[in-house]
Amino acid sequence: MAAVIAKGDSSMIEGGCLCGTVRFCITGKLGPAGYCHCKQCQRASGSAFAANAPARTIYFKFLSGGDVVTEYESSQGKFRAFCSRCGSPVYSRRDSEPDIRRIRLGTLDSDPERRPLAHVWANSKAPWYSIMDALPQYSEGLPTDIVSALQTERRS
Amino acid sequence: MGVKGSCLCGGIRYEVDGAFGRVVHCHCSMCRKATGAPFRTRAAVPTAALRWLAGEDLVSRYESSPGETRTFCRICGSTLATFLRNRPDEIGLPLGTLDDDPGVRPSAHVWVASKAPWCEITDALPRFAEGITTTSDSQLSNPPLQPTAASPMLGRRG
Repeated sequence: MAAVIAKGDSSMIEGGCLCGTVRFCITGKLGPAGYCHCKQCQRASGSAFAANAPARTIYFKFLSGGDVVTEYESSQGKFRAFCSRCGSPVYSRRDSEPDIRRIRLGTLDSDPERRPLAHVWANSKAPWYSIMDALPQYSEGLPTDIVSALQTERRS
Repeated sequence: MGVKGSCLCGGIRYEVDGAFGRVVHCHCSMCRKATGAPFRTRAAVPTAALRWLAGEDLVSRYESSPGETRTFCRICGSTLATFLRNRPDEIGLPLGTLDDDPGVRPSAHVWVASKAPWCEITDALPRFAEGITTTSDSQLSNPPLQPTAASPMLGRRG
């Protein structure tokens, strides 16, 4: 799985919600991106799947509108953040991983220079969507060996 | 028996009675921002077919362009239907909040000229740089809702 630990190197990425109230920037690297087909991500996005990549919390900064972001606790200790004015999903975070924000790639204004590397929770995918690309598909979350490899990368 | 849907927190529930119209993946920048995803997959549905079963008071509205109102759940942010002032009889329903299989399948990618650089389209569906024009309309597999009242941009944003 060498491709999974390929590194991106964007020094500054900006993004924002649909109405433009929430603006944020990420300095440093965005982590490995992926598509999540879990039903929660489908409902939250309204789309077939979510596209996420992790950013370190210390490198994620609101430029504006942080006060209009609402966090919804979709599972115990997992929070999904969206703009309360336009509904755009912005990130998710877990109490168990306080140093990570999982950024919704659709909110980014520029190319994060990351390409999604896998589909996760493929067993939950929408019946009306067919995965047609050649990326690896995992029936649930990422296998533990890949998670370990990614965590090694985050520390690097 | 209608097709049911609900938001992530369960506060809003709805039902669609009757046929779903054309389904497209919309890659416009507004749909990407609204969903956080590379595209928004939505069906054309008759406005009269949508019935709120619970939580209509939780539906927040945002007018993303003049006359185009996108809705979402105030509690959990789930993306819901889009309403168009100039086509009051039709809504754009994003499929992600459906509980049931609507039976219809996507028939095209629209606004591909605006697609995210990190999203590669790998399926064989027709692709349109912008919306679907009336001339290309007949080439698609599932029909628009109102072929006789077709607007110039059937696959418009939203």
